[in-house]
Amino acid sequence: MIFRIIKKLELKELFDVMAENRIIGPVQKGTSHEGKPLYAFEPVLDFNDLKLDYTTTTRPAKRYFLPSHETLCTFSIHENGWDKSVDFNIREPHVFFGMHACDINALDKLDKVLLESNFPTPYYAAKRKNMFIIGVECNPQPFCFCRSMGTDSASHGFDMFLTDLGDRYFVEVQSAAAFNFLKNIKTREPEEKDHTRYMKVIAEKNRKFTTAVDTTDLAKILDMEFQSDVWKYWGDKCLSCGTCASVCPTCYCYGVEEAVDIDLKGAKKKKHLYSCNLIDFAEVAGGHNFRPESHSRLKYRYYHKHRGFMEEFEESLCVGCGRCSEACLAKITVPEVIASVRSGVKPKGRPGRHGK
Amino acid sequence: MPVESYLGVPLHRPKVAFFEFTACEGCQLQILNNEATLLDFLSLVDVVTFREAMSERSDDFEIAFVEGSITRADEVKRLKDIRKKAKVLVAMGSCACFGGVNQLKNRFNDPKWVKEQVYGKFPVESEEARPLEDIVTVDLKIYGCPIKKEEVEKIVTNLVLGKSVNHPKYPVCMECMANENICLYKLGEPCLGPVTRAGCDAWCPGSRFGCWGCRGPADAANVDQIISIMEEHNFSADTIIDRLECFGGFKAFAEELKKKTAKSKTKKKRAGK
Amino acid sequence: MENKLPFVDVLKGVPGYQRKSDLRSFEYSYKAEITNVYPLTASEKLYQIQITDPEMRKRFTFRPGQFVMLEVPGVGEAPFSISSSPIRHGDIELCIRNVGNLTNFLSRVERGVQVGITGPFGTSFPLEEMMGQNIFLIAGGLGIAPLRSPVLSVLENRSRYAKVDIIYGARQPSELLFTYQYDMWRKFDISLDIIVENPDKQWSGPVGRTTDILSEKLAAPAGSLSRNTYAIVCGPPVMFKFVCNMLTEAGIPMQKMFVSLERRMHCGRGKCCRCNVGSTYTCLKGPVFDYWSVMNLKEAI
Repeated sequence: MIFRIIKKLELKELFDVMAENRIIGPVQKGTSHEGKPLYAFEPVLDFNDLKLDYTTTTRPAKRYFLPSHETLCTFSIHENGWDKSVDFNIREPHVFFGMHACDINALDKLDKVLLESNFPTPYYAAKRKNMFIIGVECNPQPFCFCRSMGTDSASHGFDMFLTDLGDRYFVEVQSAAAFNFLKNIKTREPEEKDHTRYMKVIAEKNRKFTTAVDTTDLAKILDMEFQSDVWKYWGDKCLSCGTCASVCPTCYCYGVEEAVDIDLKGAKKKKHLYSCNLIDFAEVAGGHNFRPESHSRLKYRYYHKHRGFMEEFEESLCVGCGRCSEACLAKITVPEVIASVRSGVKPKGRPGRHGK
Repeated sequence: MPVESYLGVPLHRPKVAFFEFTACEGCQLQILNNEATLLDFLSLVDVVTFREAMSERSDDFEIAFVEGSITRADEVKRLKDIRKKAKVLVAMGSCACFGGVNQLKNRFNDPKWVKEQVYGKFPVESEEARPLEDIVTVDLKIYGCPIKKEEVEKIVTNLVLGKSVNHPKYPVCMECMANENICLYKLGEPCLGPVTRAGCDAWCPGSRFGCWGCRGPADAANVDQIISIMEEHNFSADTIIDRLECFGGFKAFAEELKKKTAKSKTKKKRAGK
Repeated sequence: MENKLPFVDVLKGVPGYQRKSDLRSFEYSYKAEITNVYPLTASEKLYQIQITDPEMRKRFTFRPGQFVMLEVPGVGEAPFSISSSPIRHGDIELCIRNVGNLTNFLSRVERGVQVGITGPFGTSFPLEEMMGQNIFLIAGGLGIAPLRSPVLSVLENRSRYAKVDIIYGARQPSELLFTYQYDMWRKFDISLDIIVENPDKQWSGPVGRTTDILSEKLAAPAGSLSRNTYAIVCGPPVMFKFVCNMLTEAGIPMQKMFVSLERRMHCGRGKCCRCNVGSTYTCLKGPVFDYWSVMNLKEAI
């Protein structure tokens, strides 16, 4: 591993050097009615728009590598036959400037199922292989529980990683491309004082985590508590709206829909990201629904994240970013759901009101 | 030249007719609005009656697209007549599906008073606004106020191909999230997106305008939960009732909430005494 | 321009054709022709489908129990168990019931239409492992569709198996599939029992459920069932649950019983998650499971 120190002011230079490419980064998209800034990953043209000290983005950068809607292929139709043309829907590399460790780890998890398993998907691969990632050390929020999921730091899956040391950045360099970019600006070797400062900053960060999830034997406990009443309690709250999956950096499930063009001379096969909480997720042709109740769908979601993926890849599919908890209007939060499944005790009153 | 078959399966070009009752005719206008595909649309079907677009008319049709709610005795008669002639009757838009904005007048429970307020002494017949389903069997609904032209095109293409029409069963949130909108609750706005049937591509929330539920409830809509959520966000009972009542799709829930609110109001009054 | 990142073409330089690992194969479908459509009942038809390219057709191999994704552009794509014998390679037969959008369209197509085939996918019945042993092949309703491929395979390799018992139940005689083949099957020294729940006037066979026939057969077992018998059970979950429990009681080990699960699939490749049972992908770990695995799947039965 190569480490470098760059002065804060140099970062703009780096940005400008990279600006020959399309840069995606955290920007402020709005302000909540409580006055909190709302951040999103958007294309950035001006360095000043880039908010590297962002809390979290309400949505992951997923749309750039797993878009919510994607045309998988188009058909041209002739009398009894057809021709198919496939497009992976990517034209140029993207620089992701300022991803937190949880989101970088999320990509690593997605890689396991979408790239490294049987039947790798080229739609994801094409976008993933064209990502240049600059990580940035985060600022833990009350809803973050990445530390419990082991995703609070990223050891790989980025080109370069920045840690703010006050007047300078500590830079981890992991790719030749990143090293080449850095040649354009002034950098120096880190010294002992930089190391000390770095470790102090990380310790400070770690002190900020307030939410934890006990994941001990979680896969087994989910199996044991499959019939628990607690699921029903959460299911009654659930709106079955799919927002948790939409904001999840690792939810990848989808549905395919085919449609004939209105001129009947062509057709399209479209993929749209789905959510296992939606009513017809497990409905089959003929109408039978394997999970008609909302609690069975909600349970399945936890089951897949924390047990199924664990069984397959020996890690959970959840990175503990807490976005789903923040986005859920019914205030169904992962730490509370897991705690209640472990204890078998339903939260008192309406969920989300205690422990906050 | 209209296409005769699709992958060897012969296609049938149905005779279709458009009708309107008590409505703004905005849904029909939506269909005419899509210049880019209008010609393709017209070659898919054989339009025999469409007052907003042509002067010819015919009683020989298979599919009747009906816009509007029913508010007069003569409309009941005409609708029944259309039903008799049509193989497939399509309720088009919120008015036809749920009574739409028109049914708001039903909330006063005093049709005579409403008529006086609106028309004065002018002799107009106007009864309670009803959805088509209250009078005849409806084979297919196209939701929305107004309907979305892309959706109508998809539905008509499917009808011609003999494909069934599958409305999204999930709520608007899915489409709103797909469009990367900021959740309106985060901005302090009420929104029925979490319980309203999708298919509009989150048209209103995309313009930072909370959903009013024009497409009616999604399958498995947890309306009780969204009412509690709105209460938690400090929206008044009146605000919530207004939303649920606006297009008629959530009528039952609005009625229930009204009863509950009335009860708690009397309780409060009594307690106050 | 040196700061412009190079565009990575993920397909470039990928070696050879490797169906399970090649990015190119994900959205590749064999062009195939529906060469014949044979109506079986009022709602089911048998489709003979031939991969158009002769080389590809020869190269297409599958094992009984596996499925393909069948696509009609613009109409839909869905998984279907292959009902034909594996020796026919890419000249497959699918038995399809008209229940949804795609199958409804298929019920209206005539021979000569081009469709897309991808696969084969999933696990299969371990017929090699069963050699030298007795086999129960038990189907309920449309379960005969996935069962027909192992049946044909057993017939073609008759000398390699001991006693072969097929039990097939349907709700009524008009719903029986492949009626024209029963005589031929019987000629291969196979015991074939057909049973219906609701007989019509012409029906002269037994009335009841597959379990009725099975209990008779199990009452007088030939030797030790635990050592000499395998079972393949295809049908709705309620049916295979009863049948497998009965077989378990008779002494057949759970890992020697195989069932085929059906779920909705949008990809067949372990990506869309729609077919998950508990947290197991039916498309990758199934559709064929031994009964022990099924018992351990949450939500399977």
